[in-house]
Amino acid sequence: MTTFERLNEIFREVFDDDTIELKPETTANDVDGWDSLSHVNLILAIETKFAITFSQKELLTFRNVGDLYKSIEKKLESRK
Amino acid sequence: MFHSCYHAIIFEFQSTVYIIQRVICLDNEIIHNGQFNIGHICTKQQCDKGLQEKVAMRFISRALERTDYTFGDIERNSNRFANALLELGLSEGDIVFSFLPKTSEQFFSFLGILKIKAIAGTLFSSFGEDALLDRLGDSKARCLITRKSSMRKINRIRGRLPELKHIILIDVPVHESPDILSYSQLTQNAPDVFDIPQTGPETPSVLHYTSGSTGKPKGVLHVHKSVLHQSSTSKEILNLTDKDIYWCTADQGWVTGTSYGIIGPWSLSVTQVHFAGGYDPALWFEILKREKITVWYTAPTALRMLMQQSDDFFADYDLSSLKYIFSVGEPLNPEIVHWSRRVLKKEIYDTWFQTETGGIMISNRPGFTVKPGSMGKPVGSVEAAIIEDGGTVLTEGKRGNLCLKLGWPSMFSTYLNNREAYESKFKNGFYYSGDTAYTDEEGYYWFTGRSDDVINTAGHLISPFEIESALLEIPEIAESGVIGAPDDLLFEKVVAFVALKEQCEWTRDLELKIRIKVSNKVSTIATPQEIIVVDSVPKNKSGKIMRRVLKAIYKGEDPGDLSTMED
Repeated sequence: MTTFERLNEIFREVFDDDTIELKPETTANDVDGWDSLSHVNLILAIETKFAITFSQKELLTFRNVGDLYKSIEKKLESRK
Repeated sequence: MFHSCYHAIIFEFQSTVYIIQRVICLDNEIIHNGQFNIGHICTKQQCDKGLQEKVAMRFISRALERTDYTFGDIERNSNRFANALLELGLSEGDIVFSFLPKTSEQFFSFLGILKIKAIAGTLFSSFGEDALLDRLGDSKARCLITRKSSMRKINRIRGRLPELKHIILIDVPVHESPDILSYSQLTQNAPDVFDIPQTGPETPSVLHYTSGSTGKPKGVLHVHKSVLHQSSTSKEILNLTDKDIYWCTADQGWVTGTSYGIIGPWSLSVTQVHFAGGYDPALWFEILKREKITVWYTAPTALRMLMQQSDDFFADYDLSSLKYIFSVGEPLNPEIVHWSRRVLKKEIYDTWFQTETGGIMISNRPGFTVKPGSMGKPVGSVEAAIIEDGGTVLTEGKRGNLCLKLGWPSMFSTYLNNREAYESKFKNGFYYSGDTAYTDEEGYYWFTGRSDDVINTAGHLISPFEIESALLEIPEIAESGVIGAPDDLLFEKVVAFVALKEQCEWTRDLELKIRIKVSNKVSTIATPQEIIVVDSVPKNKSGKIMRRVLKAIYKGEDPGDLSTMED
């Protein structure tokens, strides 16, 4: 499973929605229930499942799923 | 016994006289020829007044794109839905729920349901599967209108909802199966005219579920005559006229969203703005400015979040059209009132009501001196009182139960399938709200708290029991106790105390499991903001969780009498 597919799975679990098909340009406007409260769950889920952490500053720079994905990939790469 | 029956008869007579007086008084304005149907009043009646081309709803997408719907559009679309429901075999008294975020179909379907004299229930769009099961199961709902994205959670509970015959999806083009239907396919060929049956004042209309501190949520049933109070308070308290551009930010899953986001304003021919997105300061203020909103009804949590913006932020927005801001859902802190006066140059008027009251009962209002922190005074003919547990009406300055004298037109008619709970809310002709308050020497009401354990977080009432139950489904958790704790932003935050089973350890994975479990089972807003691991949760000798002890522990206060606590 690719990182992007794993990310998609995490979204489906957090938002309890099997219809989610992420694209790099996906934003909170495109996912039902993606609000400030569920965002905390989402970030915690990503951090836990990928064993990474985000700084507050990083979180503010994410404009869409593509930005989030790139950041995850970069963190995973730096661990190798 | 004889004495209390005698009082009840007198009281019933008085309230009937009162209702008749109100009906006569409003007959020319809202009620024509004894037709109380809310669907009729909000659509057909507006068209009959020559307003078919007037914009009833300006729908703003998350990307701020506008779509306007006239009263004629709302009339035709709700008629199509009413006809579609009849075609499905639904009829008077059937319960039809919507489980939708803000979409145009939410409004069309709500009014269409009411037009066939069925009962329109609305569900908050972030409810989880347990919350849905409790509400759809208790009400024996026959039909649910929702989106495809909700089907995962609905499929998990569908087998336990034998009475749920139809699911209508608003975002699929064609029917998916005999019972999973497409909204657009159902309505595209349905006639856009509908002969609304004569509807009496006591006909059941709207159903909202409300949480208690124990047991399952209760279905608060309203009747069509509630429109009298919702309309009169929209006019007299919110100061709405047919010239206004009005925006109520409440979700239609809650009573404010239906009473003041649909019924009251449209009964007065008011143009409403509805925004599909959630809270976003820049988008919200762009809407206020661009749409020239004149009356804005929102919630303290949103206002507190706005207070976190720098003062410069607001300088970019011309709010000269905005005449009035109203607030509902939780107490409005004095700081917000002072901030608004200083930064927005506007007064904010707090209003108080509950799902059970159906409309505003106590409020501040334009032309009225606002005492920051006070709820204001009772509206119109509403009579409120502060009463001690023993039944004595208290004088000013003394804290007690906030009660309302029976007889307001938007009073709920029952708790569905739970008459006992309904009757327990009334004593000696007064409704006990569950809130506590006191009055001052000028008759202003001041909220002090709840007399039960219900949590008010960001204006949403949450049952600790529902969260505790969801927590106990997690294999690692042996015991759970949930409380509301004071929070600067949310008014109250959800705090969960959990005792783990032997050999289970607290980990980040477990925290994630808890958060997702509560979010998906109950609601996102019920997700604990803090989770505290304890050796055991305090209970009394009959096994009831002692939440007052948990609250005291959390606040570092003396827990008081512990004699009833189990060893």
